Amino acid sequence: MLKHTCAALLASTILAGSAFADTVKIGLSGPFSGGSASMGVSMRDGAKLAVAEINKAGGIMGKQIQLVERDDEARNELGVQIAQELINKEQVAATLGYINTGVALASQRFYQEAEIPVINNVATGTLIARQFLPPDNKANYVFRTSANDAIQSAMIVDEAITRRGFKAPAILADSTNYGQLGRADLVKALEAKGVKTVAEEKFNIGDTDMTAQLLRAKQANADVILTYGIGPELAQIANGMAKLGWKLPMIGSWTLSMATFIDNAGANGDGAEMPETFIQIPNTPKRKAFIEAYQAAYKVDRIPSPVSAAQGYDSVYLLKAAMEQAKSTDGRKVRAALEDLQTKVDGVVTVYDHPFSATDHEAISANIPVFGIVKGGRVVAAHEEDIQGDKAVRVKPRH
Amino acid sequence: MQILAQLLVSGIAVGMIYGVIAFGYQLTFATSKTLNFGQGEALMLGSLVGLTVVSITGYWIMLPIVLAFGLLQGSVVERLGVRQAIKTKSESGWIMATIALGIIFKNMAENIWGRDALKFPSPLPEAPIGFMGVNVLPMEIAIVVGALALMLAVEFFNRRSIYGKAVVATANDRDAAGLMGINTSLVITFSYALSSMTAAFAGVLVAPVTLTGANMGGALGLKAFAVAIIGGLSSGMGVVVGGLILGITETLTGYYVSTGYKDVPGLVLLLLVLSLKPSGLFGVATIKKV
Repeated sequence: MLKHTCAALLASTILAGSAFADTVKIGLSGPFSGGSASMGVSMRDGAKLAVAEINKAGGIMGKQIQLVERDDEARNELGVQIAQELINKEQVAATLGYINTGVALASQRFYQEAEIPVINNVATGTLIARQFLPPDNKANYVFRTSANDAIQSAMIVDEAITRRGFKAPAILADSTNYGQLGRADLVKALEAKGVKTVAEEKFNIGDTDMTAQLLRAKQANADVILTYGIGPELAQIANGMAKLGWKLPMIGSWTLSMATFIDNAGANGDGAEMPETFIQIPNTPKRKAFIEAYQAAYKVDRIPSPVSAAQGYDSVYLLKAAMEQAKSTDGRKVRAALEDLQTKVDGVVTVYDHPFSATDHEAISANIPVFGIVKGGRVVAAHEEDIQGDKAVRVKPRH
Repeated sequence: MQILAQLLVSGIAVGMIYGVIAFGYQLTFATSKTLNFGQGEALMLGSLVGLTVVSITGYWIMLPIVLAFGLLQGSVVERLGVRQAIKTKSESGWIMATIALGIIFKNMAENIWGRDALKFPSPLPEAPIGFMGVNVLPMEIAIVVGALALMLAVEFFNRRSIYGKAVVATANDRDAAGLMGINTSLVITFSYALSSMTAAFAGVLVAPVTLTGANMGGALGLKAFAVAIIGGLSSGMGVVVGGLILGITETLTGYYVSTGYKDVPGLVLLLLVLSLKPSGLFGVATIKKV
């Protein structure tokens, strides 16, 4: 009987379209085309998986979730247009999204002004969740479920200097905001350990030859390459080292787990290490179920960007918990509920136990990511002991 | 010394990539004084078509298919974008038309192959060859040899065949050539076909080193355009030298000055050439009579 009601409800929702009040509209903005598409598509597909599960189980407070997906093509101005469309025309209750820090910073202020929560699922720029912090603003409507650059750069330095004992790091970063802000974070983290870089080199998006950058690092006697860039150029670095017959370990931001790096670098990319909130390993029942559901739904073996997929998936459940606690989809109430979430949300990345507060909108703390390593075309755990036993699920400490 | 040699070798490899793309600009300019601003996209299409075909037929059968595809693609560009502009003696119509076609080709490619960078299988071993401490990829040697061979073949064809005579005649004076019974619009179509063919060939040649993907045309096409300006649009020899100059200054500046300023000297050179010798280092200055 219940099943029939649900089916009828779903059918009527589809027929009546957006005018029907019995749906919760959630926006989703990310690049489904372009250089960062693998992250955007995985994030979207992860979120869709969660929405399908929730809708099948009865929705949020009996209402079905309707996901309004928009391709921002990683373009700032398009992101802004989409934000305005989702807020004013679609009147979404909340939005999930943003792969690119630039798009996030350009678009999220519209949600802030409209008092609608927006959860950043992938973008890592440190400023994102801090742009509208109280007391300067009445309340912050920007949340995040990814590990920010401050966390990642500190982890990269810790791994390279403390754990693996390298002494002469060279930084190779691209000339975009992402690369240059990341480079600055890395330098800061290195200084905190009293280590100086021996070389800091830049490259452009689309550069095909890294000889000059690598030779400068080589002449400076670097013993490890720290990277902040995206897939294709990172692959050119790995391939360039192979060409020069000079292979150093590469440790860098999580973009070293992008399929465009792994596939284009091939064997040259083996051994590259990066911080990951989620590695495609079924070491908890929740993760096993998630991986299997993703593989079945999208007919893939390797999730294009497992981190993005898992963070996208979890964000929907966080939003559901907040809306149910607020007993409302009103932006102000949902924001307040997210900041004081009473139920534990059992996610793929972690168990979210009071993930946010009024002044802290970062769901991921420094203890959650672990190092992944590229091995034979896949990302596996760099240090098995990091994910063994009770370390399988690492939870953010309570405030 | 060893470092300088390594930088030179890498610079030459990069420069030949620019040069062979720029060569395509020169081919159409010679016959019609127009350029295909979608040259980078012709390169990209050639390499993506090659990527699809190579998995079915293997490397060597793929090459003639890609060359044929290039010929066809170039004729389409000329028919749709350039012919009307030439007929009406429009000074700028072809610029917008070829740019628009380039964007259309890029969007088509994004829909077919996606927008990620893709790996192109290398027909040669991927291990570097060491020579007196300088490492070079076999594919980089193939790029230099292949690009030179292609350009020589096209030059030879232009100079020795009856078509070549028609090109020279059309280049000198289109109206007079037409009066002499040369089908000048066919000559121009063919020069576009030839130009896209070299671009398509360049695409499969460079892809194992540069990676391929719908976005590969933009940056490379622009660099090649700078090369064509530096070397001179009227000289096949000029674009080769222009490419080498740009490739070598890039890698040398990257190493000896700063990798952040890698692209600057090339652009300064471009400005210098434009202000001191606008027809390019190897270009022949022509006086336009009105």
